[in-house]
Amino acid sequence: MKKFYTVFAVLAIAALALSACGGASADVSEDNCADEAVLCVGLVTDVGEVDDKSFNQSAWEGVQQAADELGAFVKYVETKDAKDYAANIQLFAEKDYDVIVTVGFALGEATVGESANYPGINFIGVDQWQGEELANVAGLLFPEDKAGFLAGALAAQMSETGTIAAVLGTDLVPPVVAFKEGYEAGALYINPDINLISTYHPGGMDVAFVDPEWGATTAKQALDQGADVVFGAGGKTGNGALIEVASHEGAFCIGVDSDQWETVPEAHPCLITSAMKLITPGVFELISASAAGEFPGGNYFGTTGLASFHDFDSSVPQEVKDKLAEIDAGLLDGSISTGY
Amino acid sequence: MDNQAKTEAGNQSLSDWFKSVWHVIAIPLAAVLLALVIGAILLIVSGANPIEAYAALIEGSFGTMKAFGRTLAKATPLIFSGLAVALAFKAGLFNIGAQGQLLLGALVSAAAGFLIKGLPPFLHVTLALLAGAIAGALFGAIPGALKAYTGASEVITTIMLNYVAINITDYLADGPLKDISGGNIVARTPAILDSARIPSIGEIPVGFFLAIIVSIIVWFTLWRTTTGFEIRTVGLSPHAAKYSGMRVAFTVILTMVISGFLAGIGGSIETLGIVGRYQPGFNTGLGFDGITIALLGKTHPFGIIPAAILIGAMKAGASTMQFNAGVAKEITDVIQALMLFFVTADMIIRKMLRTKDGGGEKITLSGWGQK
Repeated sequence: MKKFYTVFAVLAIAALALSACGGASADVSEDNCADEAVLCVGLVTDVGEVDDKSFNQSAWEGVQQAADELGAFVKYVETKDAKDYAANIQLFAEKDYDVIVTVGFALGEATVGESANYPGINFIGVDQWQGEELANVAGLLFPEDKAGFLAGALAAQMSETGTIAAVLGTDLVPPVVAFKEGYEAGALYINPDINLISTYHPGGMDVAFVDPEWGATTAKQALDQGADVVFGAGGKTGNGALIEVASHEGAFCIGVDSDQWETVPEAHPCLITSAMKLITPGVFELISASAAGEFPGGNYFGTTGLASFHDFDSSVPQEVKDKLAEIDAGLLDGSISTGY
Repeated sequence: MDNQAKTEAGNQSLSDWFKSVWHVIAIPLAAVLLALVIGAILLIVSGANPIEAYAALIEGSFGTMKAFGRTLAKATPLIFSGLAVALAFKAGLFNIGAQGQLLLGALVSAAAGFLIKGLPPFLHVTLALLAGAIAGALFGAIPGALKAYTGASEVITTIMLNYVAINITDYLADGPLKDISGGNIVARTPAILDSARIPSIGEIPVGFFLAIIVSIIVWFTLWRTTTGFEIRTVGLSPHAAKYSGMRVAFTVILTMVISGFLAGIGGSIETLGIVGRYQPGFNTGLGFDGITIALLGKTHPFGIIPAAILIGAMKAGASTMQFNAGVAKEITDVIQALMLFFVTADMIIRKMLRTKDGGGEKITLSGWGQK
């Protein structure tokens, strides 16, 4: 599992990238993007910031890794208006960038549209499912069920009451369903008699991920019903569940998507790990593949995994860690199926 | 009155005419310049080169034909929301609900754009536009009627109705009207049919010309028809209007209906000409920007056009400014907010310009309990 870069390392790389912008290195500059020897990578965020501690930031860290390890010139544009997706992609395309990363499902249409206008540029679409395989578009997707499976296997092993819970965003979003199904399958894999309390948010897309109060209430109900491990998967709704569990002595919680130890400090008293989508290495792998002339068009599956145990490292018995490593290997070689 | 000054220009000496126009545009112009100067100071403080940044802003908004087309495309819905807010101002009403009326217009025209099949393009576009405009008009009628018959402040009701509109459109875009084509996971309607699309002539969106035509119609209605006279009289003094036999309640409702109609067309044109479907989050702020534009344009239809182009240019050039000069994308919002601030707090500028009066039309708003 890849260790996270510290914020300082990120800042250092950013400073390097900026100094490259100022012309410190004559060869690697935006003016030379058309030159085959110069690798230029641009990133377009979804409406939001590049330091959002979530998707946009993880993807940008992957791009920065390319600056660091492949000597690429890198730059990002934050989208202000959702109608500007295509225009923002064009800003990079017109400067002959080699790779353009677009972050989030919502940019999928604009990405595919522009890929036809610029066949010489490779596009990486984070979380963008490709219905039709295009040579210059790779949709970076994640097998969330596998991350969920590991989380469920950990939860079942750490639970003393034999009851575990999941507080979930809406089932309208397939990745959330994948996390949930994987979580339950993983728990049942360890303990076929385990008692599972999984609850989806009943509201629509507009509220399902931004309802921490519901997340907290639902987590509390699950704890009252005897659950002692709660998986919170659903943006701020899930975070609400994590923070609620943190106030209950002896209960564990599990975060989602990125290492939530970094993003939800209030959950430190219970946050044993997070079921992560490894966006940063996924983006970097695809940029490397593009640089090597082996860009894989179509859907590309990145890896998932559990975050570090942080302060709970000593609380997790060695045999549990061994079991997780064994399951991880089994999921990878296909000997264990999540059933999703 | 600036428009009379304009139309009677032939009878006056040219210098008088210039004087009166200057009298009207001095404050908005000074507000814009002052906002840009303060914006430049902020850019310097944030470590960017303001000349480079503003050059990038201009390049991204007027630098190429494509950029210019994007500016006009961004300005188009703003002209409509600006007209909607300005027209309501004329009747003494503060329509903060342009956003909600615009959202409903955008959604309804999207529905008409993909549900109705087999129409020739011209007819389909007209029908979808009208459907959106009528949706906005009906939604505008609600606060109008509440104001006319109960005296409920339209400021409060339109703010609340914005939330109603947001929730209705979110629900429909994620429920009955959701795009269920393969792989889609977000709330949005299917794409409208090609026959419902408003085209562009080269890079210039046709919707912009429509906005100009509608501005002229609004100007004509306000100053050359009885209805317009009634609207303005009700705005200046509802009691005097009532005393002279005008139908105040009817005029208030009619004004809100027309205002909603205008905002609705704005949303429709955005759907049919730019977005191509309804998707929550794609029309954010267009109605609220109408307030800035109405005030910047001194609530005059012909003032609104340049004001909308200015704000549209800032929106169109924001990404290029970010790309070329490494400026945070929020800077254009800050500049826009400063413009609004200086236009509304015009005391500051009047002191600087040493003019007693701001010129142009005064905005008189009615309060609670006035029917």
